[in-house]
Amino acid sequence: MVTSSNDGGDQLDAARSAALADVERATDLASLEEARIRALGRRSAIAQARSSLRDLPPEARRDAGRIVNEVQSDIERAFDARREALEANELQGRWERERLDVTLPGDSIQIGSLHPLTKTTWEIVDIFTGLGFRVADGPEVELSKYNFTALNFPASHPSLSPQETYFIEGRGEDVSLRPHTSPVQIRSMEAQKPPVYVVIPGRCYRRDVQDPTHLNCFGQIEGLAVDEGITMGDLKGVIEAFAQRLFGRDLGIRMRPHYFPFTEPSAEVDVQCFVCRGEGCRVCRGEGWIEILGCGMVHPFLLEWVGYDAERYTGFAFGAGIERMAALAHGVSDIRYFWENDLRFLDYFRGLA
Amino acid sequence: MRVPIGWLKDYVPLEVTVPDLVRLLNFSGTKVETVHHPSRAISDVVVAKVFSIEPHPNADNLTLVEIETFGGDRERVVCGAKNFAVGDLVPWAKVGARLPDMVIAERKIRGEVSRGMLCSGRELGVGKDHSGILVLPPDARLGTEVSEVLGLNDTILELELTPNRPDCMGMVGIAREVAALTEAEMTLPVADMTPLDSSPGVPVELADLEGCPRYVARSIQGVTVGPSPAWIAARLLAVGLRPISNVVDITNYVMMELGHPLHPFDAAKVTGGSIIVRRAGDGEAMTTLDGVDRKLTSGDLVIADSDRVLALAGVMGGSDSEVSPHTTAVILEAAYFDPASIGATSRRHGLRSEASARFERGMDPEVLPFAAARAAGLMSEIAGGATAAIADVYPAPFARPRITLRPPRTDAMLGTHVDPDRQAQLLRSVSFTVSRDDGGLDVEVPSFRPDISREVDLIEEVARLEGLDKLPSTLPPGQLGGLNETQSADRILRRTLAGLGLHEAWTNSFMSPRDLDALRLADDHPARRAVVVANPMSEDEKLLRTTLLPGLLRAAQHNLARASGGVALFEVARVYEPGPELLPQEPTALGGVFAGTHSEQSWDSRARAWDFFAVKGMVVALMDSLRIPAPEFDPVAGMPFHPSRTAKVSWGETTLGMIGEVHPDVCAAFDVPRGTIAFEMAWAAIVAALPGRPAAASLPRYPASLIDLAIVVDAAQHAGDVERVIRSAGEPETTSVRLFDVYTGPQVPDGKKSLAYALELRATDRTLAEKDVTVVKSRILGELEDRFGARLRT
Repeated sequence: MVTSSNDGGDQLDAARSAALADVERATDLASLEEARIRALGRRSAIAQARSSLRDLPPEARRDAGRIVNEVQSDIERAFDARREALEANELQGRWERERLDVTLPGDSIQIGSLHPLTKTTWEIVDIFTGLGFRVADGPEVELSKYNFTALNFPASHPSLSPQETYFIEGRGEDVSLRPHTSPVQIRSMEAQKPPVYVVIPGRCYRRDVQDPTHLNCFGQIEGLAVDEGITMGDLKGVIEAFAQRLFGRDLGIRMRPHYFPFTEPSAEVDVQCFVCRGEGCRVCRGEGWIEILGCGMVHPFLLEWVGYDAERYTGFAFGAGIERMAALAHGVSDIRYFWENDLRFLDYFRGLA
Repeated sequence: MRVPIGWLKDYVPLEVTVPDLVRLLNFSGTKVETVHHPSRAISDVVVAKVFSIEPHPNADNLTLVEIETFGGDRERVVCGAKNFAVGDLVPWAKVGARLPDMVIAERKIRGEVSRGMLCSGRELGVGKDHSGILVLPPDARLGTEVSEVLGLNDTILELELTPNRPDCMGMVGIAREVAALTEAEMTLPVADMTPLDSSPGVPVELADLEGCPRYVARSIQGVTVGPSPAWIAARLLAVGLRPISNVVDITNYVMMELGHPLHPFDAAKVTGGSIIVRRAGDGEAMTTLDGVDRKLTSGDLVIADSDRVLALAGVMGGSDSEVSPHTTAVILEAAYFDPASIGATSRRHGLRSEASARFERGMDPEVLPFAAARAAGLMSEIAGGATAAIADVYPAPFARPRITLRPPRTDAMLGTHVDPDRQAQLLRSVSFTVSRDDGGLDVEVPSFRPDISREVDLIEEVARLEGLDKLPSTLPPGQLGGLNETQSADRILRRTLAGLGLHEAWTNSFMSPRDLDALRLADDHPARRAVVVANPMSEDEKLLRTTLLPGLLRAAQHNLARASGGVALFEVARVYEPGPELLPQEPTALGGVFAGTHSEQSWDSRARAWDFFAVKGMVVALMDSLRIPAPEFDPVAGMPFHPSRTAKVSWGETTLGMIGEVHPDVCAAFDVPRGTIAFEMAWAAIVAALPGRPAAASLPRYPASLIDLAIVVDAAQHAGDVERVIRSAGEPETTSVRLFDVYTGPQVPDGKKSLAYALELRATDRTLAEKDVTVVKSRILGELEDRFGARLRT
């Protein structure tokens, strides 16, 4: 603070005090600007003091000038400080005025769902395309010779009877609804020379009364590999890869010998229960293992039927129920849920992943 | 098939535990479905004697039965069955007794106290028979636990046999497997093959050698028909057969033991004393043992005497020649019947029996004399019968197949090495005769293995006996795998629709004719031409669907009925279109149904219901996701859609499908709200429109001019046509057309409407000048005026 030693100095002190008080009183930038004009404007005491300097003798003018400058810069510093504070305040006020309640809900954009049977089919298809398979399909209303005869079903097999299989009016026994995706094995082989690597998803039909594990219209997925040197070990490796990708990385599989007309040797495959890992629980009915599919080496009858050299080429095939795969993968106890399209059920599968 | 362990032990020593046995069977191809421990489920059910039977005073279908038990104690129970008589022995569950499905308490039934219960076979868990009370063998001791009498203390394996293994349909066949798996010796039951005299026996004429190539008939005389001893009855019950009489039970017992069905005729009822095996005459009639009158066809193989049909060969005997309590002489049949013939007859008559189930799979032609002798031996032991003579007619004996197995072929098939000696040893273990020769193993197939006819069958035997757990785990070479363009597009389409908020549905491929009626389709509508199922189980599966809409509408209804405010479903699936070819076309269709709330009211937006334009926009977005140009939408009328709120979707000449409001009558028929929107499109048309890879041209170098163009046209004028004209007249400068306002009201004359478009004009070689824009604008206006009498709105 500069002290003055004369009247002019007293006046300046008073002006300074008034100005500082004025700054303190200013509550916004506009009143601060008014205060600034009052304190430092052309009519202010400071301006008058500065203009009266030229009337003083040179020595006194230098001293007095220094005092005026000091007073002015005191006032300006006060103003600047006050302005900064008020500006910060004002900005804060603006942010407050612009504040959004970010906890309000966003626009309601509903994502739908892919059907669990679609998801499971894709998942399985992707496993096999990764192993070098392509996707094939064929008719659902099929020639009985592809549904049965070419697949080495004896004519007396119960599947050929109208108790088990749907036939088509006006077509006698020649045309039936495929009870499995296996006829596409024959069609795929007929359509090309070996090697053949195909995976075949599709709908199938059986005259089954619907219950938690049976449907009259259901999905299957079939795989076929025919090449030189295909072994049952290859089948085991592929099924193992499949089961572990679908149900869990470290689960074991086991093959039990079985019988199917179109494969030999044939096997059923169990995967270690993914709930209890073999201990036995409700899901696996205490077995520790869950049956997942049937498979085997392509019966030479089929290879001969399509005109392949059954000595040179061998192959494997497998078939699994899509509903069963999906039910196991998602813990669904009744496969009829898959065909009811109840949104409360489908909602479990919401999203595209 | 049920296999009591105790019975199995008659033929093979069992030195493994039951769990080990189960594992061995499971992993060699004989699947053990369940292990039963019947006695664990039953206690305090004892043998009792029926003392008196009185009518229940308050119920016609009930009786009051007084029973006598050990020590002469009497108790009274209320009973519903009437298949027993005073003096019969029956299973009495005491008060407090435990049965597989219940615990018995003292109850009052229609006002009468019942102290316990008399049990049926099913209630005891010994078979499926629930038609009456299980009458016990007369030599059972009063007061004994029934589980002991019935052999229920035994463990029973329930096997799921595969149809290729008829040899496993008897205890001996299972024993053969077990012996091979446990490296034990098996023993066959004893049977004396010699007859009393060496006379040729019953004359047998085989008139159809293909249907019946071998027939053994043993004449057994001096039998006394009566109940079976407890041990036979118990074993039959344990495997699920009902004891009938000693003679019949013995044939059943031998069938369960050796796997081969036998049939006893009452010799006195065989007219002319000879047996003829022939095809039936068309329309020939007989009554089978189950009391059903059957009309036969020339496809049915029958056993006949000189006058009439005695039995439906290999399926069921006739009631005429049935063994009765008065029978004293029996002709015991052991025959081989052609599997296909038996299967056909069994299916034709809807009649499956223990016998037909075996014959249709192929029996052992060589076991017949032995099976007949075994049964005759038991009859002599139990029913006092003696064999007088044996006829065995087998004019053209089957040769046992001989097959060469190349051991390296086994290795190549399995992907692992099994030593040739080991392969031979495994085959010998299940009764194949194996010798080595230059080409590999020379294998003779036993007569009871009709499933073995070629090398690969032997490889399977080796594989299953060696164990599939020995296989290595390898991967095949594979090819270039992956999805083709159509398959990839299918995934994009489904993901887009799901991303747009739709739920994917899978609905049944069948439809009912009623569905087509509910869609209000005209009789000549193409969707009426459907593939017809010849043997539907119900009306609902009579047809294969020609449209996805019924399934989707039903799914929508299902959800709306469960308080779902809105529903948006789609399905990608085949429809079935019959044509002149043997097989129908199976084009894939894409269908969608939308009803109710599209979006709920929110704090910043109003509720919106599904309407035509919401769905139309979605269809355009869907095409966009596949980079297919937006299709054209033109008004069209046709069921099942609303006559004036429906569009045909097309690209030029290619029709994609229809989109529109569902006709109010159809909404009513499917019980969905009025205003439900639906579309159905042909997937093939979408696939055909898929573009190739996008080529990225350079970006425009000159700025665009944006202008608004508001015109006045007749109120009925379709905006789509206007837009088409703007686009064509505006070529090549017009690069974008967007309708931003449709207006009727003051400022627009009555009967007119204003359409306001935002246009983007652009040239590739320069910035368009004001006058260029004016030229384009007046070109468009001129064309609009010519075509629609349109005026610029001022």
